Amino acid sequence: MEVVKGQTFRYRREKYEVPAEAKEQLKYYVKIKKAILDALKENELTIAQLSEILSLPKHEVVYYLMTLIKYGFVQVGAIDEMDEYYTYKRLK
Amino acid sequence: MHEARSEVEFDALVVGGGIAGCEAALNIANNGYTVLLVEKDLSIGGKMILLSKVFPTLDCGACITTPKVSEIARHTRITILTGSEVGSISESDNHRFKAGIVKHPRYVVDEDCTGCQLCEEACPVNVSDQYQFHLVGRKAAYIPFSIASPRIAAIDMENCTLCGACEKVCPTKCIDFTQEEEHWTVSVKTVVIATGFELFDPLGMPRYGFGLYKNVITSMQMERQLAPTRPFHTVLRPGDGKMPDRIAYVLCTGSRDTSVGNPICSQICCMYSIKQAQLLMGALPMADVTIYYIDIRAFGKGFNEFYEQALGMGVNFVKGKIGKIIEKDNGNLLLRYEDVSTGKLHEAEHDLVVLSVGVLPNKSMQSVFQDLSLLEDTYHFIKQDDPILNPARTSIEGVFVAGTATGPMDIPDSILSAGTASAEAISHIIQSQ
Ligand SMILES: Cc1cc2nc3c(=O)[nH]c(=O)nc-3n(C[C@H](O)[C@H](O)[C@H](O)COP(=O)(O)OP(=O)(O)OC[C@H]3O[C@@H](n4cnc5c(N)ncnc54)[C@H](O)[C@@H]3O)c2cc1C
Ligand code: SF4
Repeated sequence: MEVVKGQTFRYRREKYEVPAEAKEQLKYYVKIKKAILDALKENELTIAQLSEILSLPKHEVVYYLMTLIKYGFVQVGAIDEMDEYYTYKRLK
Repeated sequence: MHEARSEVEFDALVVGGGIAGCEAALNIANNGYTVLLVEKDLSIGGKMILLSKVFPTLDCGACITTPKVSEIARHTRITILTGSEVGSISESDNHRFKAGIVKHPRYVVDEDCTGCQLCEEACPVNVSDQYQFHLVGRKAAYIPFSIASPRIAAIDMENCTLCGACEKVCPTKCIDFTQEEEHWTVSVKTVVIATGFELFDPLGMPRYGFGLYKNVITSMQMERQLAPTRPFHTVLRPGDGKMPDRIAYVLCTGSRDTSVGNPICSQICCMYSIKQAQLLMGALPMADVTIYYIDIRAFGKGFNEFYEQALGMGVNFVKGKIGKIIEKDNGNLLLRYEDVSTGKLHEAEHDLVVLSVGVLPNKSMQSVFQDLSLLEDTYHFIKQDDPILNPARTSIEGVFVAGTATGPMDIPDSILSAGTASAEAISHIIQSQ
């Protein structure tokens, strides 16, 4: 197969399979990302609230939410009166 | 299929690009000799480049590492191979060594990448970020971290779905999925081993609950939480995003403990924990920090004063041996410990526990030498010919060792050790001419 600069992924696709775990992982991330961003569409929410809406353990919410902040999709809101938990809001 | 390169000559081969390897390479090159620096990771800088601040001066880790790292990167007599490993070293003619090196593909043409991060933005994949010690995600097309050297992208092929999004947006068309392993054969007069240390994995101590209890973290994870390029927006519990206010440190995790196979003191964890405690009190002024210790090893210049400074700031020191950690429903942690001075058992509640993990030997060089015997010491670090009189010499003439590859030590001692190793290496080069 001819290798075209800027499209070399095609060459690799011909030669190697994409690992099944990589495909699964992407699917899962897309699903969680959508669920978090949908939940934050209307309201600022805490991690506990997101965990309940998404039926996802809180530690998983922390991981994906912090990742979405890193990628610029989510912003930090306010902290509660006890200085314990923040709310988070959608950015994009 | 892989690309083979013909034999290239250098005066010195430095294996490992942490602070010790970088210092050794720089010293040798500044004296007029050519150096090949081989680093297995995607960036040089080792553990130090990922630290928040450093004891006992509290200088910013990144600020003091970056100038050194960029001096090496620009040096005309130093060639750096990142993402590379030394597969074999054997003796060859004329007092030289022959080394076989494998450069793993980065899938990016190094010279053409501008570090613009457009590929990273376009990549749809998310995987756990090893440079943030798995507290957040990163992309499959990624720059390892903001001050990485070289600051160029890499494709994580294990997690890439070959969608082509990165290639479409790359302005210089430098992503190259056709890259294969490159095999280099180099001829050198001397070798400096600076492969550093491994961190104790607390999964090996199930009674502390690491992995199971999300609010039990390692000191390296806390180091990242305190760094300017932190994974979270502030210090938070990974279990539920709460800002912690009762933080415990468990010293000697995986050190001075024959039950986990490491009887020796790691020398750095007392001091880095005291450093982190001080930084935490700055970041979370309302927080209580308690350090559970067996002994405090504050032996270096200014170290005891640094410890006293922490005491003065209100850090709570408890001479206690932790038996078990138990998680409560609210994610808080109960620490069962024996008060060493009274022998009595106590229980204390904290909302975040940091395990001050110890230093273990990196055994990756042991199988590399062929027909040559690189000896290790009782604790499996690289054996020094004479720890007092010849601390940089190994069991192989012309092969020297620098930094934590010889045993636990802090940054100043790693730099001193690299100074000795480079002086020995230069002397060996001169004698072999
Ligand atoms: C949580 C924590 C906090 C710390 N804080 C401080 C502090 O505040 N002040 C202080 O003085 N010290 C501190 N230290 C100690 C400091 O990190 C070490 O002293 C220092 O990193 C040692 O440098 P090194 O080059 O010997 O090893 P490393 O930093 O381990 O570097 C070794 C390098 O070699 C590479 N390598 C390994 N094997 C191979 C191979 N086979 N081929 C090629 N490359 C290889 C590695 O990828 C790495 O880049 C801290 C340590 C920890 C864990
Ligand atoms: S330096 Fe301190 S924490 Fe580390 S092993 Fe030695 S005594 Fe324990």
